[in-house]
Amino acid sequence: MLNRRRLLLTTAASLFLPVQTGTAQAADWPAIEAAAKGQTVYFNAWAGSDPINAYIKWAADEMKSRYGVTVEHVKITDTAEVVKRVRDEVAAGKQDGSVDLVWINGENFRTMKSEKLLFGPFSEALPNYALVDTEGKPTTRQDFSESVDGLEAPWGMAQLTFFADGAKVAEPPRSIAALTRFAAANPGRVAYPAPPDFHGTTFIKQVLIESAISPAAFSKPADRMLFSSYQPVWEAMLDALHKSLWREGRQFPKSQAEVTQMVADGELLIGLTFNPNEPANLVAAGTMPAGTIAWQHEKGTIGNTHFVAIPVNARSKEAAQVFANFLMSPEAQARKNDIKVWGDPTVLAVSRLAADQQASFANAAAPGSVSLPGPALLEPHASWVPLLEDAWLKRYGKG
Amino acid sequence: MLSLRHIGLVLNGKPLVRPFSLDVAPGEVVTLMGASGSGKSSLLAFIAGDLPPAMTGQGDVVLNRTRLNPLPPERRGLGRLFQDDYLFPHMTVGENLLFAVADLPRAERLQRMEQALTDCGLEGFAPRPPHSLSGGQRSRVALMRALLAEPAAILLDEPFSKLDRPLRASMRSFTFEHIRNRGIPALLVSHDPEDVPPGGRVLEILEDGSLKNA
Amino acid sequence: MTATRLVAVLPLTLLFLLPLVAALVLVLPGLLDATAFASMIAHPQFAGALWLTVFTGLLGTGLAVLTSLAIVHAAGSRDLSRGSGLFLAVPHLSLAIGLAFLIMPTGVIARLLAPLLGWTSPPQWVTTQDPWGFTLIAALVLKETPFLVWAFAALLNRDDMRRALDGQVAVARSLGHGPMSIFLRVILPQLLPRMAGPLIAVLAYSLTVVDMAVVVGPGQPPTLAQLAWTDLNDGDAATAARGGAGVLILSGLVLLLIFLVGAALPLLAPLRHRLLASPPRQDAKLFRLLIILWPAWFCIYGAVMLVMALQSIAAQWPFPDLLPQHATAAAWLRLVQDSGPFLTTFVLALATAMSSVAAAVAWLEWAPRRADRIAALVAVFALCLPSLLVGLGQYRLFLALGITGTAPALFLAHVLPVAAYVFLVLAGPYRSFDPRWNAVAAGLTAQPLRFLLRIKWPMLKAPILAAAATGFAVSVAQFVPAQLAAAGRFSTLPMEAVTLSAGGNRPLIATHGLGLMLLPLVAFLLAGWFGQPRWRMR
Repeated sequence: MLNRRRLLLTTAASLFLPVQTGTAQAADWPAIEAAAKGQTVYFNAWAGSDPINAYIKWAADEMKSRYGVTVEHVKITDTAEVVKRVRDEVAAGKQDGSVDLVWINGENFRTMKSEKLLFGPFSEALPNYALVDTEGKPTTRQDFSESVDGLEAPWGMAQLTFFADGAKVAEPPRSIAALTRFAAANPGRVAYPAPPDFHGTTFIKQVLIESAISPAAFSKPADRMLFSSYQPVWEAMLDALHKSLWREGRQFPKSQAEVTQMVADGELLIGLTFNPNEPANLVAAGTMPAGTIAWQHEKGTIGNTHFVAIPVNARSKEAAQVFANFLMSPEAQARKNDIKVWGDPTVLAVSRLAADQQASFANAAAPGSVSLPGPALLEPHASWVPLLEDAWLKRYGKG
Repeated sequence: MLSLRHIGLVLNGKPLVRPFSLDVAPGEVVTLMGASGSGKSSLLAFIAGDLPPAMTGQGDVVLNRTRLNPLPPERRGLGRLFQDDYLFPHMTVGENLLFAVADLPRAERLQRMEQALTDCGLEGFAPRPPHSLSGGQRSRVALMRALLAEPAAILLDEPFSKLDRPLRASMRSFTFEHIRNRGIPALLVSHDPEDVPPGGRVLEILEDGSLKNA
Repeated sequence: MTATRLVAVLPLTLLFLLPLVAALVLVLPGLLDATAFASMIAHPQFAGALWLTVFTGLLGTGLAVLTSLAIVHAAGSRDLSRGSGLFLAVPHLSLAIGLAFLIMPTGVIARLLAPLLGWTSPPQWVTTQDPWGFTLIAALVLKETPFLVWAFAALLNRDDMRRALDGQVAVARSLGHGPMSIFLRVILPQLLPRMAGPLIAVLAYSLTVVDMAVVVGPGQPPTLAQLAWTDLNDGDAATAARGGAGVLILSGLVLLLIFLVGAALPLLAPLRHRLLASPPRQDAKLFRLLIILWPAWFCIYGAVMLVMALQSIAAQWPFPDLLPQHATAAAWLRLVQDSGPFLTTFVLALATAMSSVAAAVAWLEWAPRRADRIAALVAVFALCLPSLLVGLGQYRLFLALGITGTAPALFLAHVLPVAAYVFLVLAGPYRSFDPRWNAVAAGLTAQPLRFLLRIKWPMLKAPILAAAATGFAVSVAQFVPAQLAAAGRFSTLPMEAVTLSAGGNRPLIATHGLGLMLLPLVAFLLAGWFGQPRWRMR
């Protein structure tokens, strides 16, 4: 029923699709840069983090001075709002949309792609795309197992990472099973944000992967049948953990930021983040103590790439492409990679850059850096998300 | 007996009414005359115990050998009537009267209420809302309500001034008759010489705040 | 005459009535989606959310009514309007944020207790997100009580009301009734019917509040408003439609509860008669304790503000420490540097308050009196509707007009609730203006406009300014409609605050909470100052 609805909607939306003007990939780059001059890019990006906001402000200033492009950071709490806004605007026939560029990945990308709400393909035609490490970082082309098809430009890398004050957590638990034992020994001091907060959703996906003997099946689209064969083990694993969670797993913090704050306060012992450098960043900002440790699970944690995309009804498509290209430039990527700035890992193949550029990516070993890394695991296909969230809500959402 | 001993009023540090003493005998109606703003209404408020904070009163109010000054208004046993009848608009006539009847068995209370209505010629008016009554009828209900509380004395603050001329005379005699029958002291404030009951004592507040027997 | 009437009704119609009707007409058909309804009702959290909504909404409203009555009673003849105005200036969001800072396991209260009880890590208190929503109820009571006190005070300050009640109270005391007895039998029964508007607004608000619930309410399950808001913002079309169904169910719930309360009132008539006709009673001494309630409110709000101020300059604040380790002005500097949202909020509040007051005055002065009832009903109705529903409708309207993300859309989104509040606040005092002044003035000057400018409006300056300040505060606190209409092109203080609250930067959250408070506070202080009679201004 859900899918049929979506299909109907997609068909309806496609009726309103404007004719593609085709300036994107065909036109040569200087022409796009020339057209971009004087345009304004409304960049819709999650703004819940100061270092990120500050970085976007820096990038906006650079765009103004280098390309004469004005970048306005539209601060949002949830990218899903943007998906909804673009869909509504397109349905209402609004050509000069309010969004020029959006920070996106995963399920939101899949929705926009399937509803044909995205402009492009454009990303692979951007000059700096040649520097992207598409082989070493396959998630730059497969977003949650959904083919990117040039509809979004890779911006940064992420991998689920845990952190704690080393003075309080001597031996970091490096699997869900170990985490469960840790929680049992420290009842009420471990928590994860409630799904559909995306850190919460990622956590229950991590549990899914660790509960299965062979996680290969998760890269394919899911349905209820397939899920039902994994569900009992997954639920048993969560049940065991929840018994000793904060509030006995009856209430959950509302966001990752809340968990982080509670860890900083000492109310919780272990925090989680999608940015491996965030713990170091928190130490640098004075939020966490210098003895902070960060780790990933022994057998790996979920990793992915985050992107920027241009809605189909964007007003400043040229400037949006110039900005997306700038965000992929070695200079912008190196600055973003700097723990003191943001600490978001680069999407570029650093080894292919010039030597001095390579040096700019070196982060001095900072307190709070990941000391026990694990391999990056592929995200389950985006179609698993609604199934997991729904099952989680049914079992744990009633308090 | 209502005894006022050296009572006076001070407004902003200046004497408004200079101290005077007065005894009102049971059944007697003493009239206090004065121009508007002379402080005669405030004097009644002071006696009743709810003088506005801007003014200060002095002297003792003694009722049947009890000094009233330390008591809150509701424990002074002083009935009051004003220019307006102040019937509670959200209550029926009957509820207005019951509001004043003491805590007795229910049948007894209802009987007193009915009797009061009969006494003022308004039999059967109990379930009516006050706004459906004429001005004269309302005044009578107000008087009956004051008397049902069985006050030990009554303070009348120009109660006839808003009534029509022909009504005024009959209301005056109705009021004074009921007060005499109860045998309670009454203090009337007015600026209309016609309000003075026949043969009644009259005091006048002069412009300098002193009192004169008229 | 006809032309005047048209001019009189046009502004309010254009600002308020027409956009409201258009918004509802546009949004309702879209929400009537059987599939979405079925999926909302099948939502695993639906039953729990429904129960929680009814529980917190009714208990919160009930307690706020009781405490406000106790406060009004204990104040006697003291004027509460100026003190309560200050509370109105505090936006719900600010209060919820500050309250959380106070009572959470790492809050100031826990820190005060820590040395006494030897705590080194925060206690495992269930003070926020308690499954019953008691913290949410406490926040609602803290915020709505002063609003009701203010509404009571505004009513009691009306000349006609005051004159009548003063006399009735004097009579009632002479009949042997103590202050509590008089309050219950004489004052309350006359106030309550006139308080229907504010009471309904409080009930509707308590049932539909989103921002407060997000900060201090439970999450598993959340309230229905929260559930709908989360769904509504989902990228998936079917989930968003489910959220729309949730909004409609919530609206229906509000109307149903108001109807049920209204229908239950006549059943209380025998009780009312027994109360009114009971014999004189003097007060129990215990009632005198109620006098501490109102000062307690000042203390709690003072503590909340103090904690927010402390939090706003706290660089690092590890748990058992009573005070932050370092102070920093970074968060305040950010607020000053990013002055755009502050200015947008200020200009919007000023524009909406002024135009709403002008429209309301025009209506009240020249529109036929029959129309008042209609306008008042529509205003109360508009305030009963969840802001979610109205916001969605406006969003549809602006999309259809192609003006999302423009200044006019932002203005219209803000002015709707502002106009409703301003009209309701002003209608009472304006209509109770003693008509005999008209007659007196007719003898002195023949020109009606001169009468308005020189006599009537100056005499009504206090209520007009109070209405303007209320409108200003309402505008400043708008979040849901503003967020939808702005389409990211504009940012206001509450939008900024909510966005920041997702980031967990407490100093910045505290700064915005306080900044949000500052604007309406100044408006209320100014209105209070200029609203007093000339001879009382020092």
